[in-house]
Amino acid sequence: MSGAKILVVDDEPQIRRMMRATLTSTGHQVDEARTGEEALEKFREFLPDLVLLDLNMPGMGGVEACKSIRAGSDVPIIILTVRNTEKEKVEALDAGADDYVSKPFGMQELLARIRAALRRAPSSAESGPQRFVSEGLEIDFDGRRVRANGKNVRLTPKEFELLRHLVVHGGKPVPHRELLQAVWGPDYGDETDYLRVFINHLRKKIEPNPAHPKYILTEPWVGYRFAIAEGSEPE
Amino acid sequence: MKAALRLTIRILTALALIVAIILLYFRFLSVNVTTVALTMLLAILAIATQWGLTESVVASVAAMLGFNYFFLPPIGTFEIADPQNWVALIAFLITAVTASQLSVRARRRTAEADARRREVERLYALGQAMLLSDSVRTSARDAVNSIMRTFEIPGAVLFSKIEDEFFRSDPQTLAISDEQLRMIASSEEPLIDQQTQIAVVPVRLGGQVLGSLGFMGCTLSTAALNAVTYLVAIGMERARSLEEGSKTEALRQSETLKAVLLDALAHDLKTPLTSIKGAVSHLLAQPRDAEERELLTIANEETDRLNRLVVEVLEMARIEAAKFHPDRSPHGVSEIIAAAVKAQEESLKGRRVRLHIPESLPAADVDFEFIQQVLKQLLDNAVKYSPPGSPLTIAAGVAGEKIVISVADHGKGIPEAEQARIFEKFYRGRASRDETLGTGLGLSIAKGIIEAHGGKVWVTSQPGQGSIFSFALPVSKKELVP
Repeated sequence: MSGAKILVVDDEPQIRRMMRATLTSTGHQVDEARTGEEALEKFREFLPDLVLLDLNMPGMGGVEACKSIRAGSDVPIIILTVRNTEKEKVEALDAGADDYVSKPFGMQELLARIRAALRRAPSSAESGPQRFVSEGLEIDFDGRRVRANGKNVRLTPKEFELLRHLVVHGGKPVPHRELLQAVWGPDYGDETDYLRVFINHLRKKIEPNPAHPKYILTEPWVGYRFAIAEGSEPE
Repeated sequence: MKAALRLTIRILTALALIVAIILLYFRFLSVNVTTVALTMLLAILAIATQWGLTESVVASVAAMLGFNYFFLPPIGTFEIADPQNWVALIAFLITAVTASQLSVRARRRTAEADARRREVERLYALGQAMLLSDSVRTSARDAVNSIMRTFEIPGAVLFSKIEDEFFRSDPQTLAISDEQLRMIASSEEPLIDQQTQIAVVPVRLGGQVLGSLGFMGCTLSTAALNAVTYLVAIGMERARSLEEGSKTEALRQSETLKAVLLDALAHDLKTPLTSIKGAVSHLLAQPRDAEERELLTIANEETDRLNRLVVEVLEMARIEAAKFHPDRSPHGVSEIIAAAVKAQEESLKGRRVRLHIPESLPAADVDFEFIQQVLKQLLDNAVKYSPPGSPLTIAAGVAGEKIVISVADHGKGIPEAEQARIFEKFYRGRASRDETLGTGLGLSIAKGIIEAHGGKVWVTSQPGQGSIFSFALPVSKKELVP
C-alpha cells in the first residue's frame, strides 16, 4: 500500500528531513510535528493513516502523545526511540503503540513495518469462540472485555489479539512465527522479543501469579500454549 | 587537712555559742531552768542542721555540763543534789543527740536527692548536646566538652575504636594514656581509681564495644557513669548512621546524575547516526551501479559499526557506574538459551548447534534480556573465532547452588597467556586483531552482567582444540523451596 499519509513526530530536524525525503520518494505523503502537543494538533488537521512517533521529546513526550492519540483513534502508531530496554518497550506498547523500532534503523525495515501496520493484522474474530470462562478468568471476545481475578482488565488491541489467538488454539503449543504473523502480519516472524514483552505483559494482567503462570505457558524452542483447565472450555 | 581544720573551727564556734547562752542567762537574764534548757536545745538543733553530728554531739555534751554546773543546784559544782534533776539532765542529753541525728540524716537525704537531681539534669544536658552533632568526629568532640562542662570536671577523653582516634577535652587528660584507653576498650572492664579520681569505662552499645571514655576528677556515681557512657554510645552511633546515610544519599545522587548524563549522551550520539543510517540505507535500496553500491555499503556498514561501538561503550559505562541493577526474576534456562539461539539465527546459519540441556533444570534468578545478551555475545564470539561450518555446543547443568551454562566452539583456541586478559576492556586477541571487526568490549560487558547477578564467567581453552566459555548463575531461591 503506497501513498499513505504519514505524520512524522520528532524533535530532531535532521531526522525529520531524512524521513521526509525517504518517505516521500517511496510515494507517501508526509507531515511533520516537533513536539507531542504539535503532533496532536497536526493529527486533527492532517488526518494521517499512520503516525511515526519519537519517544524522547521535550514537553509532552511520546508516551503521553501516544496515549492521547489512542484515546480517540485506532490509527497505527509506530514508536521510534534510541532506547532499547524492555521497560521502554513495555511502556510504549502499553500506551497503545502497535510497533516499536529502535534508532538507528534501516529504511527498508521501517518501510516493511509501515506496510505491515497499514495492512492491519488479520482478525480471527469470525471463526473463534465468543467467550472463555474459567475460575478467575473471563474473556468476552465480542465485547473485547476481560475479567481476571475479580477485576476488569484493560488490554491493548495487540494484547487482545495475542490472547485470542492463544485461546483459539487452547491446549496446543502455538509457534512463535505463527503467533507473530497472526497478530502483527505476514512481514513478521523473527521478533520473538515482541512476543516475550507482550506475553509478560499479558501474564501480569491475567495470571494470578505471573512468575508461575497458569494460563499462558512457555514452550521452550517452540512458542506458547494456552492451558485449558478441566471444566473450562471456550464456548 | 582542710576538712580537719574546718571541723575544728566549727566545733569551737559551737562551743562558743553554748558559752554565750550560759553567759547570757547566768549573768544578765534571770529565767527559770526550763527556759535555759530549751534555748540550749534550740541552739544544738541549729548546729546539727547547719553542720553535722560531730559538732552537735560536742555541743550537747558541753551544754549538759554547763547546764549542770551553772543552773542545777548545787550551783557551781558538777554535783546534782536532787535525783529528779538527773532525769532532766539525761533527757536533755538524749533529746539533743537524737534531734541532731535526725536533722543530720534529713540533711544528708536532701543533699543526696540534690546530687541525683543535678546528675539527671546534667545527663539530660549531655544527651541534648550529643543529639545536636551530625558527624562522628564533631559528636565525639562535643561529647568530651559537654561532659567536662556539665559535670564540672577538669577533663574527659573519648577513644573511638572504629575511627581509632582519641578526643581529648584538655591536654591534662594525657594523665589517662592512649594505651590505657585502648586497654579498657578491649578488656571491657571499667577502671575506677578513687585516689587519683580517674575513671575509665568502656563505651558499649548492644554488646558491641565502640571505645572507651576517661574522666578526670571523677566524683560520679556508677549509675551516672553508666548513663553517661550509654548516652555517648547512642550519640556516636546516631552520628555514624547519619553520616553513612548522607554518604549513601550523595552516592545515589551522583549515580542518578551519571545515568542521566549517559542517557543524554546516548541520545546525542544516536540521533545523527539515525539520520545517516536512514539516508544511506534508503539510497542502497535504489538500483545502483557497482561502484556506488560498494561505497554506500561501506558507509552503511560503518554506521552500524559506529552504532555498535556507541551502544557497547555506553553499556560498559553503565555497568561500571554501578548503576546497573538487573531486573531479576525466576526464568527457565532453556527458555533463555532458546531465545538467544533464535536471535542469532542469521549468524548461526550453516552451523550445527548441539544442545546438552537436561529436561529438568531449576530456574535461575536473572534478568532475561541481559542473560540473553551474554549468550548472544558468546555465540557471536564462537561463530567469529571458529571455522565456518564447524559445530557449536551449548550445555547447561547444575553445580551446587549454581546453574552453569557453557558455549563451546572448535576454533583455534586461546593461548593460556591471553585467557585472563580477554575479559578486559578493549582487549582483543592477538591472532584475531586484524581479522575480525569488534570493539573488544563484548566479553567485558558479559562479565559485568554476570557479576551483577552474583555469578562468574570463565574460559577453558586448548589451542588447536577450541574454547569453552562458561558462566555460573545462582539458582532461583523461589524454586529451591519445596
